[in-house]
Amino acid sequence: MIRMIHLVVVCAFVAAAIYVYKIKFDATVQAERLADIRAEIKREHDAIAGLRAEWAKLDSPARIQGLAQRHLALKELDVSQFDPLDNLPERPKPLVPPDSADPIAVIIENTDTPTTGSVPAPGQ
Amino acid sequence: MSMNAPHHQDVRKPAEAWHRRMAQALLYGRNVDRPRKARARLGLAIVAFSLVYIIIAGRLVLYAAASDPHVSRRGATGDAVATARPDIIDRRGEILAIDVKTPSLYAEPRRLIDADEASELLTGVMPDLDHSDLRERLSSHRGFVWLKREISAKQQAEIYHLGLPGVGFLTENKRVYPDGNEVSHVIGHVNVDNQGIAGIEKWLDNSGLADLHRAGLASDRDQEPVQLSLDLRVQHVLHDEVAAAREHFKALAGAGLVLNVRTGEVIAMVSIPDYDPNSPRQALEPNRINRLTTGVYEMGSTFKALTLAMGLDSGKVTLNSTFDARMPLRYGRFSIHDYHAQNRVLSVPEIFTYSSNIGAARVALRVGVDEHKAFLRKLGQLDRLRTELPESAEPIVPKHWGELNTVTIAFGHGLSVAPLQAIMGVAALVNGGLLIPPTFLKRSEAEAQKVATRVIKPETSVAMRYLMRLNAEKGSATKANVPGYYVGGKTGTAEKVINGRYAKNKLLTDFMAILPSDNPRYLVFVMLDEPQPLPETHGYATAAWNAGVASARVISRMAPLLDLEPRFNLPPADVQILGAGRSAQAAPADTQILASAKNTR
Repeated sequence: MIRMIHLVVVCAFVAAAIYVYKIKFDATVQAERLADIRAEIKREHDAIAGLRAEWAKLDSPARIQGLAQRHLALKELDVSQFDPLDNLPERPKPLVPPDSADPIAVIIENTDTPTTGSVPAPGQ
Repeated sequence: MSMNAPHHQDVRKPAEAWHRRMAQALLYGRNVDRPRKARARLGLAIVAFSLVYIIIAGRLVLYAAASDPHVSRRGATGDAVATARPDIIDRRGEILAIDVKTPSLYAEPRRLIDADEASELLTGVMPDLDHSDLRERLSSHRGFVWLKREISAKQQAEIYHLGLPGVGFLTENKRVYPDGNEVSHVIGHVNVDNQGIAGIEKWLDNSGLADLHRAGLASDRDQEPVQLSLDLRVQHVLHDEVAAAREHFKALAGAGLVLNVRTGEVIAMVSIPDYDPNSPRQALEPNRINRLTTGVYEMGSTFKALTLAMGLDSGKVTLNSTFDARMPLRYGRFSIHDYHAQNRVLSVPEIFTYSSNIGAARVALRVGVDEHKAFLRKLGQLDRLRTELPESAEPIVPKHWGELNTVTIAFGHGLSVAPLQAIMGVAALVNGGLLIPPTFLKRSEAEAQKVATRVIKPETSVAMRYLMRLNAEKGSATKANVPGYYVGGKTGTAEKVINGRYAKNKLLTDFMAILPSDNPRYLVFVMLDEPQPLPETHGYATAAWNAGVASARVISRMAPLLDLEPRFNLPPADVQILGAGRSAQAAPADTQILASAKNTR
């Protein structure tokens, strides 16, 4: 009986040792992966910082102004080019009322003399 | 055990053979109980051994539980000293300064196998290295030598593939300023070890970053970026225009500043000549100082704004008061002349628009010397102005302030202040009467209210807005009157002191513009040092012809960027600002501006 118990205990010990070793090994693998990922994040951060610096350099107003002056025929904005929204004219009345059944018929009805390239507009 | 002991003795003693008893008596003495002693020793040994094994077991558990330091440190190898700095961004999030990791190449000559071969290979990758110098350094028997700081990633890869033992890389933080010269005087710069030595960079170090570095905690990139009040676009406009004006008028130097008068935020600040913070060697040249904070100047006629505000605020002068400017003002052996002499009695608005020295002096005399001094002290013109920038200059105040000093200081001579100080004072005159210390960090209006102090009455501030606007409508500031933005302004021309005398042809001109004048949001300041007269300025070199014109260019370019909606066909200043012919005073104008500001957002 006692020998039996001894055997069971020894087996349990061996099993426990194997199990603990496995956990420990997995943990080490995970820790290494974590370190790798951390290092990668750091690398990516540094790369992002480098790219951001480069973008800021390319996007710097002085550089853009230089390029625009060299390559574009644009002129400086003048104050008179601004206009408040109140000065916007009313939207023209639509040619076709939105709820008409036959839009083409409405257009034909509303147009007495069609203005095209071959037919001179009235009054010309 | 002790309880059993007598019983054992009784049982065992007779059982022992005579020869054993004799041997025992001979060896140990007759009365010694050997088995008992042996048991005690055994117990002691058990306790000692189990203690040792418990310690070993406990240590094993500790080893298993604690993370492997070797693994966790692997990612950080090759990382140089902890010198990371937070990014600096402008008010819209554009990068002004950023850390970039750059590899640096080093060698450990003792571990090199063949120094000649190594130097051959390295110069093959980096032809700019001096061959003989490199070989000398590699042949030395030192433990560590830098070969090249800051190499490119491509070079790093190539050198890595050479597979040389004893050659390695360390990554270092390098500070990069993408906008170069444009932000130099605000940002400052760092030294080789990434420590701030000027401008905001130094302020960062002083406000705790240096301690982080010393503790070795600042190696990571997780530091919050520092947001400044600058707007990079406006900064560029100002830099561009001030540089152009300086070149055009062949001035020695130029400076400019845009201030939000409601929050005290510096939106842009330029002092030319400046330097490139990426290679800050030039920064030490005395000509490249920041003239706005480190230089002190006699501001000239812009000080008349302070004088008139003092007069109006004291109640001794009103907008309708008149002053005699028929004759030059004689004071002892001095006589004060007017540049645009009218030779008649002038009203207060006329003193401002004709920029009359005599008038301003008479206003100051009416208020009195002590009150003049107290008013300027209240406006912060007599004490050193401290901002985030470590560089600042003490104003030069006359030691014995008599009536003559009051007379000259009334029109901006005899008191030298840092231009930023004068700007702060004028901003207080037009923003409703609050003195707000200028800042280079982003700040809201509510935060500004907390640090603001009331220096003049709101009514005085309205009168000052009126005077500034009137000056742009029909005074010396008409050249800066950009249509649509309701600009107001004041010119200032000071003769420079050369060898103790005022030199007629060496001028310092400055211009302060406010916009929109009926409820100012921004103050634009441009200053030129010794601008030269040009044919197109009809031989004049006074402020209106150079600094004023430059301000107009700055305003027309920056206003659309700052969400200022142009408004046309506004009534003249007396109606729009003073509310002449209307029941309500400046209130309608305020609501109009607020509405337009909301529309553009």
